[in-house]
Amino acid sequence: MISGNYLAKRLCYSGAAFFVSVTITFFLLHLMPGDYITNYLLSLTNALPKETVMQFYHQFGLDLPLTEQYLLYISNILQGQWGYSYAYSVPVFSLIVEKLSWSLVLLIPATILGILIGTVLGARSGWKSGGKKDLALFNIMIAIRAIPEFWWAIMAVMVFAFYLKWFPLGGYTSISILTSGISIPDVLYHAVLPIALMTFFIATGNYYVMRNSMISVIGEEYITTARAKGLDERGILWNHALKNALLPMITITTFQFAAIIMGNVFIETVFSWPGIGLLTTEALRMRDLPLLEGIFLLDTFLSIAAMLVADVLSSLIDPRIRMGKDV
Amino acid sequence: MSRKIILWGSVAVLCAYIAIALCAPLLTPYSPTEITGAALQSPGTGHPLGTNDLGQDIFSQLVYGARITLLFGFCSALLAVLISTSVGIVIGYYGGLLDEIVSRAIDIFMPIPMFPLLIVLTAFFSPGVLQISLLMGILGSIYGIRIIRAQVLSIAQTNFVEGARAIGASDFHIMSRHILPNVMPVVMMKFVSSSQRMLVMGVGLSFIGLWDTTTVDWGTMIQNSYTSGGMALGLWWWLLPPGIAVIGISLALALIGYSFEEKFNPRVGVNRI
Amino acid sequence: MNLISIEDLSVRFSTRSECIRAVETVNLDIARGDHVALIGESGCGKTVLGMAVMGLLPKNARIGGAVRYREHDILQAAEPDIQRIRGKEIAMIMQNSANTLNPVKTVGSQIAEPLLIHQILPAKAAHAEAVRLLAAMGFDEPERAAERYPHEFSGGMRERILVAIALACQPDIVIADEPTSGLDAGVKSQILVLIKQQMADRTLFLITHDMGTAYFLCTRIAVMYAGEIVEIGPTHDLLSMPMHPYTQGLLASLPSAGLHPIPGMSPSPAYLPEGCRFCARCPAATDRCSTRHPPLNDVSGTRQVRCFCYD
Repeated sequence: MISGNYLAKRLCYSGAAFFVSVTITFFLLHLMPGDYITNYLLSLTNALPKETVMQFYHQFGLDLPLTEQYLLYISNILQGQWGYSYAYSVPVFSLIVEKLSWSLVLLIPATILGILIGTVLGARSGWKSGGKKDLALFNIMIAIRAIPEFWWAIMAVMVFAFYLKWFPLGGYTSISILTSGISIPDVLYHAVLPIALMTFFIATGNYYVMRNSMISVIGEEYITTARAKGLDERGILWNHALKNALLPMITITTFQFAAIIMGNVFIETVFSWPGIGLLTTEALRMRDLPLLEGIFLLDTFLSIAAMLVADVLSSLIDPRIRMGKDV
Repeated sequence: MSRKIILWGSVAVLCAYIAIALCAPLLTPYSPTEITGAALQSPGTGHPLGTNDLGQDIFSQLVYGARITLLFGFCSALLAVLISTSVGIVIGYYGGLLDEIVSRAIDIFMPIPMFPLLIVLTAFFSPGVLQISLLMGILGSIYGIRIIRAQVLSIAQTNFVEGARAIGASDFHIMSRHILPNVMPVVMMKFVSSSQRMLVMGVGLSFIGLWDTTTVDWGTMIQNSYTSGGMALGLWWWLLPPGIAVIGISLALALIGYSFEEKFNPRVGVNRI
Repeated sequence: MNLISIEDLSVRFSTRSECIRAVETVNLDIARGDHVALIGESGCGKTVLGMAVMGLLPKNARIGGAVRYREHDILQAAEPDIQRIRGKEIAMIMQNSANTLNPVKTVGSQIAEPLLIHQILPAKAAHAEAVRLLAAMGFDEPERAAERYPHEFSGGMRERILVAIALACQPDIVIADEPTSGLDAGVKSQILVLIKQQMADRTLFLITHDMGTAYFLCTRIAVMYAGEIVEIGPTHDLLSMPMHPYTQGLLASLPSAGLHPIPGMSPSPAYLPEGCRFCARCPAATDRCSTRHPPLNDVSGTRQVRCFCYD
């Protein structure tokens, strides 16, 4: 079905992207004054037994020539050995995985809801573009997007948490954790506001793309052909317009899954939610390079994976792509 | 409300912001970092927006801070647009191997996320605001190259380029006199929308401490008041002004961008009668 | 009995600054079994006229007059009623371009679609019928072709697909809008032959700028200029003895006649002159022509002309 050629090509590009990003991180680590391990070890303690130092040297291959170090670095990355964080003194990989799961608690519901709401509203708006409802909604969306995300978060905290006291001020749990451990309802209660805000924002992005896409599709000639066949408006929407309008959405939404990690930074920081976003802010504050690089690599890999998924999905829907025609 | 009113209103707002930033010393006697009064004063004589927790005048911070925030946004957008336009025109025009190589390189760089990379590089080099803005400009130009290139390709196919060649025009002449003017609408649009995005991003990055937190710009102002409990104490004059300032210029730029878009793609109409 | 009666049809479009008079008081009768051609240059309003007959004019069109089909007025009918007619009783062969067919749906499904819309056949039978139509249109392997996508076909083949779509429900009337535009000469003649075959028992309303196509396919020709009909007559008579100066000019401008172009340009539909609209370019113009607007007169039983020369 999908031309093997096409898939192979995309895999090659993904592989190249992987190598480029890993090379960047490698060189930055390598260029740091002193070497990577001494810096790390210094942050632990000043005097360490020589054997421990040699052990680390060996593990990270700092006594090897450059090219071999590079290869060792890549194999380390692939095996999950992403170095150690200066600030937290734990392996980068495990720290990121732990925080990632917290981020996902916010991300997954927000992304799914946001995509659904944004796409449906955008399709409606695009279908009836120029009408009163469309104009009103469109202008509202512009206004929402013009206001920075972190400002919405701050305002939300002020209004809903501080003044109205409907929601907690931040964090992922209340003091009760000390006595009764983590309670799921409590965590969810803390998650409501951040999730709501993220959904809000994701929806506006999807709305805009879907609306544009729908408007383009409506203007196409095959829609007139469909009308000439006697198809009614609903039929045209469902049988002709939607499939074509959803095409650009696929690329955009898969991209969103990956780009979200960064957008999360603001919301998590404002709400003190212990996810990757907050981790980024903290790591930045402490200039913790290995940790920041780890987050960068994570985001890159997610991004590469997202593009691949988008390619595969697009080629499933649009026959022009899977037959290799230039669209 | 007519499209024209919105457009010109937004342009007026934009000019006002730029004017304020430029004329900062004329608008306030204090320097933004000077400690000029008691801490946490509410707005009153001498301090139209009150003072922050260190006793610095908030109004001065606001108008001086405008400089950095605006500079960041426009510089990075300008650089991004310059790079993407020139590269896009050159590879679109010449095509061939050059186009192949650059396009493949862009294909490879596309998935690499710009902001985490920016953060990594900043953590490594610890550059100042201006350098960060230039860096963001470079990273942000990648996507635009594709777009400009596509435009150039559609223009370069048309006959008038062949006609220009036939009368002996040099490549540079064709690119600058024929292709560039045709690409300008897209370029303008990109510049405005990039300015908006990068300005807002700049405030956000400053908010999370990407650069020296002693610099006075709207991001650090928001950060200071938020983390020092400005809102917890109900001191609205400390928290709100920078935020509202950002919203103002962001909206203005967004509206300008949308009216451009409407002009060149009339079906996306916002104010159709 | 007239199948379609266009009565005093006027179509105007208002924009903020101007009023575009695309079609002005057109009267045309198409009887059952007629093959009528509407000839005119681009921008003369003929496509708008075709759209009007299908009820496909955009919402901002201001319409006057009526288009009667079997005692319905298409222009006044409610949308669901017109949808019942469109594609089933009145069908259109769309002007071929890369985008007239939906790129993500198979050709077979697009041909079968009118059958499903009007509930003439169930899904499987509709598909079979689509295959049969493709065979009738000259496709070698119709089953395989039906599973293909539009972009896999050349221009000529896409035009055949468009013809198949139009004929799917066995309509009474077929409107063909520039069916051979953009096609090479060889392909063009094939398509014309195909259309002529298929239209043998049907009524055809052809819209074109090409004299040759009109001559080949139609028994009656109406010439349109600047939104009005300026001459109507049987094909042979009209082409051998054109009466309106515009028709004469058109024929003279053909390569075979020596390629004498008509000087000047047709007026913009937003700024139409008083008096005869062809006056500025007419070799036979008199003073009267610039101030008074000629009506469409019967000259003989079968011919009508809009020109003071024949008063």
